[in-house]
Amino acid sequence: MRVQSLEIQRYRNISQLSLDCSQDLHIFVGPNAQGKTNILESLYLLALGKSHRTRSTKELIQFGEPHAILKARVKRDETGSRLEVQLRDLGKKVSINGIEQSKLSQYIGFLPAILFAPEDLAIVKGSPQIRRRFLDMEIGQVSPTYLYHLSQLHKLLTQRNSLLKGLGTNKKFQVEFLDVYDEQLMSLSLELWRKRFHFLKQLTKWSGEIHQSITSANEELLIEYLPSIPITADMSIEEWRTVFQAELQRVREKEIRRGSTLLGPQRDDFRLVANGLDLHTFGSQGQQRTAALSLKLAEIELIHQETGTYPILLLDDVLSELDDSRKTHLLEAIRGRVQTFVTTTNLEGIDGETLDKAQIYQIRQGNIRELR
Amino acid sequence: MYVPEPISKLIESFVRLPGIGPKSAQRLAMFVLRMEEEDVMDFAKALVRAKRDLRTCSVCGNITDQDPCYICSDSKRDRSTICVVQDTRDLMAMERTREFNGLYHVLHGAISPIEGIGPEQLKIPDLLRRLGDETVKELILATNPNIEGEATAMYLSKLVRSFGLKVTRIAHGLPVGGDLEYADEVTLTKALEGRREL
Repeated sequence: MRVQSLEIQRYRNISQLSLDCSQDLHIFVGPNAQGKTNILESLYLLALGKSHRTRSTKELIQFGEPHAILKARVKRDETGSRLEVQLRDLGKKVSINGIEQSKLSQYIGFLPAILFAPEDLAIVKGSPQIRRRFLDMEIGQVSPTYLYHLSQLHKLLTQRNSLLKGLGTNKKFQVEFLDVYDEQLMSLSLELWRKRFHFLKQLTKWSGEIHQSITSANEELLIEYLPSIPITADMSIEEWRTVFQAELQRVREKEIRRGSTLLGPQRDDFRLVANGLDLHTFGSQGQQRTAALSLKLAEIELIHQETGTYPILLLDDVLSELDDSRKTHLLEAIRGRVQTFVTTTNLEGIDGETLDKAQIYQIRQGNIRELR
Repeated sequence: MYVPEPISKLIESFVRLPGIGPKSAQRLAMFVLRMEEEDVMDFAKALVRAKRDLRTCSVCGNITDQDPCYICSDSKRDRSTICVVQDTRDLMAMERTREFNGLYHVLHGAISPIEGIGPEQLKIPDLLRRLGDETVKELILATNPNIEGEATAMYLSKLVRSFGLKVTRIAHGLPVGGDLEYADEVTLTKALEGRREL
């Protein structure tokens, strides 16, 4: 997938901007608070119909203006299409080739995009909750049934937890009743685990290769899934069920005492290990950043595998945080395959060859000037 | 603004009904004023009779004006099969099919710990009593295909195991007459899981 041109009108601090995106690599340079990220955000909006920074449409429209417009010409294989997002105070309209799409779900996915921003470091550094959200969102993009089972699980958990609390305090429900909810918890969990193990296997494969390339084969990255019960990828689903059943029996007393469900996909985590070291605890800031980057780049391959086209890549202010060799390897890893849009405060440390092939723009107060 | 009390009272009464807001209530009230007196009387009587004369069937829990209800007392019905539903509306839906000739049992809800609804709050003890005599051979569990309905069905199936009945669960999948391409992914997956050999 390629973006061929981008047009922005009355958007944030950008009054009018027209960009010809014929290159594979586009770099937006400028000091902070000039509007670099706004350009990446507009591409993200054209891809996913929403901003990654705000929920308010009003914030996206230039102050005092009635509406903002984003337009892009994109090309997949040999077919060109026009995407347009119109932003008004009270909502937005999206259209493909001039035909308005009433459902956002019909629009999303037309232009797949992956964004990598400094906040993504939290996937390595942050709490298990952030990692689970990363998993759920990514798998959800490829599997709608996964999202359904996930929402069913959350409904089930509220009922089951309420039952566990009730068992501790009053005697309206009998303990045998938990069996019914255990049964449901098991079938939903097995379904979710099956998808998670499959997804992580793919992600491990791709991120491992990418990580090697970024670190000049100095680091070997592994993703270790840490399910809340002792199951592994090479066991059968029936074995998982047996283990889960035994575990649920084992913690039953404790669950009743605590009044909450202690096992299941909602308690899982994964660990990123480089050369045998857990990056969450022992990784340097740079290592953590590289691992997060490898994960994001692996998603590019996953999307390609699932949809047959490469997404566009948006790198928001992450180059300056990688050392020179990682920077160069990153840019090499995506070269020629993935159209990439980068914001940075300076061009130092990017090798001349890469710069030669890139289109570079200077951003100042919402105005853009082509440097080369 | 002054509104005569009989009208404001009528509007208030309509607002209490589900799905009716103040504007609809006002429209309905004004319509009642223009109706023939006879029709209004019939309407009022119907409301009172529905409340006063109807009760739940002591056998199956269906809403009825005679006890046992017309289904339970119908000698042409197959007494060996009981279809368990959550609600009287579900019973009515099943009846519309004209395909089911057995008896029903209305639970009046589904098990939901969060709302404090357990087996005792539902008509489950009544059901067990009915299963006590030997005539019943099959129990069809037709509770809703959501978390609460599934939990209720699963609980019932465990509970009645000792009776040695045939216990079945209604199927879920594609709506009839629909196009495959319009089905959502989850329904389609369910339909695929529940496929049958031809």
